Amino acid sequence: MDYQFPRQLFPSFYSCDPPNRVQRHSAGGWGCYHGVLAQGGTGSLSSWAFTSKQQLGGEVWRQTEPVPVPLLSPRKAFQEFLTPPDPLDFLKHMQNFYMDHGPDAFGCMSEILGENFYFKKAKVKEKYRKGSVNMWRTKCFVDQLKFNMCSMAYRSRSLNRYCSLLWDVVHDVPPELLGSLLHEELAEQRDRMQFSEAATGGALAFVPFSQGEGCLLYPGGPGMDRLNFHRVALERDGDACVDAGGRKPVGFQLKAPVRQISCGSRFGDSCVAVRTDHVCGVWGMREQEEPRLLQVVGTRAAASCVSVSPHILGEVLVASESGAANLWTVGRGMQEVRTEESNLYFNAKSSWRWCEFSAHPRVMLYADRTGVELTDFRVKLESNPSHTLFRISSTSDCQSGERLLLVRFLGDVHPFHHLLTTQHSAYIMDERFPGVPMLKWDHMMEAPPLFCHVAPGSASGTTKVLLGSQSSQEITLLQYSGGRVEACCSHGSPQVLLRPRDSLALLPVQIPHRQQTAAHRLASPAAGLTCLQKTSVSTATMIVLQLTAAGDVFYQILERDDRKPGAPETGPPETGAPETGAPETGARSPLLVAETSSDEDVVMPTQDPNAHTFVPETPDRNQSSDRLPDQVPAFVAVGNEADWSAPSVLSSATRHAWRRWLQKLRRREGKPGAPPHLAVRTAGLLSVAEPGAAGRHMQGALQQDLQRCMRTRSLLLNRDLDPVPVPPVVDTEAWCDPLSDRLTAAWRGGTEAWLEWWQEERGENRAMKKEALRRRRRREKEAQRAAGRHLRLSGSFTSSISYQTDVDDFSGWSSGTSGPLSDSQRSRPLGRLAAFLEGQDDSPPPDRLDPPSRTPEPQTANQRSCNLADQSLSSLWETQEDPPLHPAPSSSSSQLPSFTSLMPSKASQNQRGALQASQPKKKKSRMGF
Amino acid sequence: MEALDEYLGPPVVLEDESDSSDCSSRKRHKSKLPLAKSMCVEARVESGFHKTCRICLEHVREAMLHHRWQEAAEYMASYTQILEDRNKIKAQPHKELVWRISTEILHHLPNATVKDYNIIYEQMKHSGVKHYLMICLEHSFHLMLHGDIQAAKRQLSIAESWRHGKESVSQLPRIKLIQAYRSLLDYIMWCDKKSTLSINNSFESDNQGMHTFFRLAATNLQDILKNPGVWDPFILCYVEMLEYYGDNEEAQKVLNDYAYDNSFPPNPNAHVYLYQFLKRHDAPDKKLMKVLKHLHLLVPSHELMLAYSCLLLQSEKQSHTQKALGVLLEMLDFQCWRSNLDVWKCLHAVIHQLLQQEEWATSVQGQMALRNDWWPALHFTSFHAKKDLEENSELFKVKASLAEILCPGRPLRYTAETQMLTS
Repeated sequence: MDYQFPRQLFPSFYSCDPPNRVQRHSAGGWGCYHGVLAQGGTGSLSSWAFTSKQQLGGEVWRQTEPVPVPLLSPRKAFQEFLTPPDPLDFLKHMQNFYMDHGPDAFGCMSEILGENFYFKKAKVKEKYRKGSVNMWRTKCFVDQLKFNMCSMAYRSRSLNRYCSLLWDVVHDVPPELLGSLLHEELAEQRDRMQFSEAATGGALAFVPFSQGEGCLLYPGGPGMDRLNFHRVALERDGDACVDAGGRKPVGFQLKAPVRQISCGSRFGDSCVAVRTDHVCGVWGMREQEEPRLLQVVGTRAAASCVSVSPHILGEVLVASESGAANLWTVGRGMQEVRTEESNLYFNAKSSWRWCEFSAHPRVMLYADRTGVELTDFRVKLESNPSHTLFRISSTSDCQSGERLLLVRFLGDVHPFHHLLTTQHSAYIMDERFPGVPMLKWDHMMEAPPLFCHVAPGSASGTTKVLLGSQSSQEITLLQYSGGRVEACCSHGSPQVLLRPRDSLALLPVQIPHRQQTAAHRLASPAAGLTCLQKTSVSTATMIVLQLTAAGDVFYQILERDDRKPGAPETGPPETGAPETGAPETGARSPLLVAETSSDEDVVMPTQDPNAHTFVPETPDRNQSSDRLPDQVPAFVAVGNEADWSAPSVLSSATRHAWRRWLQKLRRREGKPGAPPHLAVRTAGLLSVAEPGAAGRHMQGALQQDLQRCMRTRSLLLNRDLDPVPVPPVVDTEAWCDPLSDRLTAAWRGGTEAWLEWWQEERGENRAMKKEALRRRRRREKEAQRAAGRHLRLSGSFTSSISYQTDVDDFSGWSSGTSGPLSDSQRSRPLGRLAAFLEGQDDSPPPDRLDPPSRTPEPQTANQRSCNLADQSLSSLWETQEDPPLHPAPSSSSSQLPSFTSLMPSKASQNQRGALQASQPKKKKSRMGF
Repeated sequence: MEALDEYLGPPVVLEDESDSSDCSSRKRHKSKLPLAKSMCVEARVESGFHKTCRICLEHVREAMLHHRWQEAAEYMASYTQILEDRNKIKAQPHKELVWRISTEILHHLPNATVKDYNIIYEQMKHSGVKHYLMICLEHSFHLMLHGDIQAAKRQLSIAESWRHGKESVSQLPRIKLIQAYRSLLDYIMWCDKKSTLSINNSFESDNQGMHTFFRLAATNLQDILKNPGVWDPFILCYVEMLEYYGDNEEAQKVLNDYAYDNSFPPNPNAHVYLYQFLKRHDAPDKKLMKVLKHLHLLVPSHELMLAYSCLLLQSEKQSHTQKALGVLLEMLDFQCWRSNLDVWKCLHAVIHQLLQQEEWATSVQGQMALRNDWWPALHFTSFHAKKDLEENSELFKVKASLAEILCPGRPLRYTAETQMLTS
């Protein structure tokens, strides 16, 4: 029963004193019950039950996605700066002023100096005036200044003259005055950026039609000056359905940005009032008919409020900043119902006024920043009997500095309730009991709430109050019940919904400059808020839509969770089980807008979202994640027990919608500010000669041949062209420089061969070779000993002779390997040599003084090794200009500069002896010995 | 010019003088709204300890606002170290903060026990004098909601006896509220005793105990009812006890004060309680009508207005019939009564009574003159006809018969619909 008044109200003090409370903590109303009522006592203690004003359990509403989803594709929009202009950055702002308002700043002076300037093309200047500044050339020069150019190379004499003429120019507006005005303007801009009261009420509305259909009203266009009526269909449970009409939004171009949209419906007829700064318009709308403009009125002072009557269609209240409130009966005209030049209760220095209808069709609410009055406008203006509904006072437990921001009549929810918001709190007022708030919340929002939407609950459910702020894009969900038989009580604690500006963090990563563009776009302040409710048997759904100042509409879907909040989460709920299985079909996106082919189309996938019609935004994990489970972590849960709040998984439909949106945004925005450069026309600069007729014919024939060959998969043999001679076979022997050797080795044997060659080149295997040499010398010595003592002298002599052969052998060794030779190595020439040397160990020839000359078999090998050594040596010396006569000793020292350092320090005496033997210096001393 | 007008407007006394934020304004400057301070502002000079705490608090807040209670609890476990802050002045608001946040988190954690609550309430209660009473009161609310009336009363009694010099003076309203709630619990005990008394006949001792509860409750309730405010639950129990002991005069005086004292807010319930009291004690109609007349001025849409119009009709005074017409028409202005059959029937009766005499017929016209331009749209459109026919045909008949009388000379769609349907 709507007319009932609560039997008991929660106790509270009443005082009209100005508020003096200062909140010193940031916890708002958390943790308090605020009061209790005793109920139902029949006598015994246990029969009494208590209800608190702040009840703990509310309905649990949970987002289905961790991010809000864009509804419309991004349009071109004028975006304000996110950071307010710095009033102290004075030079820049003065420069802007001079550039933008040149005639205002220098009008008089330019008339005086006008004859000294010459504005036509330069050639024939002398004929007219001498000594005048040529503005054409100057302008050309100034135009070029915006490119990055060398400031020293480009100079203009005429500009210099211009400067010397004008450096002490007299301003039309004295700089002092201009400065103070500018500072004031900038300060106001900053204030407006934090809080712009013109947007109060919000420019987003939804008019529901019959089952599952409705019309979404929002402003579009770059200046938010185009009013769009867009048909939307709420999807039926489970199956995705496309709007049958498929109509484009009906748009009306206005002359100023839309500030507020107010709707009222009765019996299928809807009335839409739209407020811009100085003009208000009313449109009529029905389900079957196109919206039509009914009447437009202008206001002298800026209009601050428009409000459609919920009782009688065609009655609209308009309040303006002059303090007047008018009743506008569409078709009949305006009637002034109240004027108030000052603020109602104290001087808040504000010209903001607001009007709302109340439960009685002839009583309205008249509000300003200090409070709300109920005004009966049947009575004459002079004897206005109005009484206070609300005032900033200590009764309502206001904080000092608190101001009223928004008033909304909640006719759909309760015929006598009004919602009031301030910077800190939200109040529910009952107009039957003026002066005392029925309910108060601390909404705990950072920025003042300027938009609200109230969704009535079902019979036993709670009423949902959504508050939206402007600059911070916050949306807060509050719940309350009661007001009829029971007193009002709030349920649960304030819940913050998702913001578009936070969503980028949860989406796949973008390339930084795109991320920046998108972040800037998403951070533009909110401009409206509305909510659609859909209740079915199993679930209740709320779709919260938010409009931003850039003209984007985002929505998020909330589902009521009927389980006990304490129950641990064990998989998806029973009702949602079939749905969660098929999110890819777009089943979880119940809001579908008619897809049109034009610019006005929407982002929502009406096609298969998995069909990648667009290239992926970044070569990121997006693609690979098609195979992996589609999960992007939304938040890092600290606890091991899952919280029952936002889901952490982006559905693929959402991600697809976002990807399309971001791509379209990028195309709209174009390339972000690359510095301008002077463009030089290059057409014809490097032109290829046009092929003649014959050439063109040949080209055609060739193409045909090519196609034919491709079809038959045969080789294209071009008969017409002259065959290019095959290059002659490469003779590797012709090149014998080290590089060629190296390359040859690399080509032949791959890495190992090349490594070998390189080791040889650097002499890294020298120690090994010396070891072999020493062994051989020992054998020779033993052979000499065996030959007899008479040969000792000659033996020592031969040993010095054999030195030369040693060196030869030594270089012959160079290609050998260190370990025991494998069979394949033995088969090679060098391998054979090594095998020969090994074989010497076993059977040393006793009587050989000069083994190379005596033994025929190894001679070939030795010769070969000599050849090799010669080759390598000659190749060495080829690079040098003056080859020495005895290359070996000097070559060993020049070729191996780090030889000594390569030797291990703890080498044995024997080895040192061998080393000394290989060094000619030492040999000399030995000869002396 | 506009700016000038604004400037010339009569200066209004600045009530809110403590408001320093408004002082800087030029004449063209629009309102400068004192915005809510950001919750966790970085101090200019802050120690590492304070920085950690601030960041932690931000996380707690974020988690709580998004209803991630488990996460908030984890952070909160760390945040309690702020209580070790040595800076006395700074620490004070933090104590209340800790108490509020921890209680709220406990409210939402599924495995919170009574012991957890007791620890939070008891420890935080004794951490500072400024919020002692508030936490005591909230603690007792918590106990009441969990059915532990005895413990709640004990808490309130302890709080009542708390004294702390200047603090107890500045928190006088809170002390009064505590006393009043304690009296409410006394009343509940009293009811308990009363019910046992009626079951097992009267024992002198029990009667004595009951009377003690009454005396305990009465003094405090009398006290709180002197302060302007909304005291519905308190006045109800006080009046009930007074009535039990036969002190009807006092009861009526209390109710009268509550309803007619101008310093009190215009509470419709005050008049309702008085009306109900008078009705219980068979007061004459004249008195009842007087009460309802006041209620009519306050809430013309109140459900008792039907009773009021009946009383007016019964009193056989012609002027009263006219008043009844006004009352009923005003009820029908409101949306909640628009399709109520009883009101329309009553209106039908009144109008027919009035129309019987020529001189009163004009009064109907007079009443309707104010409504002529909007009543047709409010009640008599073709949509209303369709709706009434579908939902309540009897209502449709009554309305259709009255349409011509109420809005004469206007072609109403409502009746046109009737003709269309009947033909």
